[in-house]
Amino acid sequence: MPNVVVGHNVVITRGSQIAIAASDFTIPQGKITAIIGPNGSGKSTLLHAIAGLLPVSSGTLTVLDETPVASQPRISYVLQYTTVPTGTPLTVAEAVAMARYPGLGLFGRPSREDKKYVTSAMERLKITDLAKRHLTELSGGQRQRVYVAQGIAQDHAILLLDEPLTGLDITSAKTIDSIIHEEPDRGCSVVLTTHDLEEARAADHVILTAGRVVAFGKPQDVLTTENLTNAYGLGSLHEHQSTDLILPAEHHLGDHSH
Amino acid sequence: MEWFLDPFALGFQQRALAGGILAGLMTAVVGTWLVLRGMSFFGDAFVHGIVPGVAAAVVFDINPLLGAAAAALVMVLAIELVNRQTALGEDTSIGLLFVGMLALGVIIISRVDSYSGSLTTILFGDALGVTSQDLIIQAVLAVVVISAATLFYRPLLALSFNADKAQLWGLNPKRAHAALLVLIAAAVIGSFQSVGTLLVFGLLVGPPATAALVSRTVPRMMLTAAIISVFSVWIGLTLSYHLNTAGSATMAIVPIVLFFIVLAFTRLRTHRRERVLSHA
Repeated sequence: MPNVVVGHNVVITRGSQIAIAASDFTIPQGKITAIIGPNGSGKSTLLHAIAGLLPVSSGTLTVLDETPVASQPRISYVLQYTTVPTGTPLTVAEAVAMARYPGLGLFGRPSREDKKYVTSAMERLKITDLAKRHLTELSGGQRQRVYVAQGIAQDHAILLLDEPLTGLDITSAKTIDSIIHEEPDRGCSVVLTTHDLEEARAADHVILTAGRVVAFGKPQDVLTTENLTNAYGLGSLHEHQSTDLILPAEHHLGDHSH
Repeated sequence: MEWFLDPFALGFQQRALAGGILAGLMTAVVGTWLVLRGMSFFGDAFVHGIVPGVAAAVVFDINPLLGAAAAALVMVLAIELVNRQTALGEDTSIGLLFVGMLALGVIIISRVDSYSGSLTTILFGDALGVTSQDLIIQAVLAVVVISAATLFYRPLLALSFNADKAQLWGLNPKRAHAALLVLIAAAVIGSFQSVGTLLVFGLLVGPPATAALVSRTVPRMMLTAAIISVFSVWIGLTLSYHLNTAGSATMAIVPIVLFFIVLAFTRLRTHRRERVLSHA
């Protein structure tokens, strides 16, 4: 199975702190990958690095056979709805249509195809009836659906989602969950962060983090009592600030043949 | 009718109106992004930050626009320097430069014989002293600022939405932010002679903040802010003529008063709607 993301000895720092100590991991193509770990374990940091928004301090991180920054045009990143300010006066339709900006440049007019992408994304997320509503007039769940619609309206080979189901109402969670499971059928690789063990178990591939990648691979191989105790029991490994901190080989449970 | 026409019967009064309107249009467009980006404190500090440049221009008898541009550049570079070299919050670096530049301006101008008069003109402007040459420079700056704001519409909208998303959409948020700083500088430099460095902030923030209360899209917010700005300048100069008050200050206070009137109206409307819904 080909990989869309390959990390080798990847170290990621935030300021002077090491967020992810030297780690190896892979993310398979056309599958759902869940990144799970305790608070502050580096889940969002890893997602940011894959998106090319945070450089790796050492090691190599390859995304779609290129550097993360070079592959940005093929990455769509859905941020947590709580991190996006609602102050900008935007309607739902405008917010989703912004996803087509990469192909439009500064002045390009949206084509019929652009409009089709936007309409389809809004239909899939069941927000067509909210099209003219202002973002501030929506509930948290509705806003998250808007941001996921924005994510899938963009041309992408990888869809990154930062805690897409956290704190949502049942309707929104169900709708977004179905999108997550539909995307691989469309040839897209999905990577999401989560706190929910069941959500991680339902994924095709799991990366367990605790200040480094503790383990990666199939859920049944990664989410073992030993690994979970290692990740959650030990808590964050941030006190180890050495950049050459590498886990013993037996802790890596992933399919290393990729 | 005479009540409205008398204040603009003479040439210098018409130039004051034209200068104010040009300042209002520039600040409305730039101020919209300033308010949306939550950079009002930066705007406040920035308009004070150009004081030493203008003061030095008065002392050395050079064009105040050049002095203001040089001070604006120093201000932005120094804020960036503090941000990059320390872990202090951006508000701290802005605050440091705010006080430092204003104090430096007052120190420079205090060396001039007509100290209080010069300082008052810099801070509060001289709307009735605007010359035809000032108007030409203002008009050129207004065209540049409004054109650039249109050119950068998508990058600035994406930046206001989320800088990370803007980066992923290939809309370079750092370049958009730098462009916004240049636009703020151009709008302030092009406006301070009409309304003064202190009061240009009123036009930068007042009309866009009022427009934000009633606008559902950014272009409408800009258009509404521009209408409020032009109205504020016109009614401000009219009131100043009849009440014999300072022209620049009267222009600057109008959008602030309008903000609270619109806020009260919108709150009342929301309250009524909620009451209707609760009785339904």
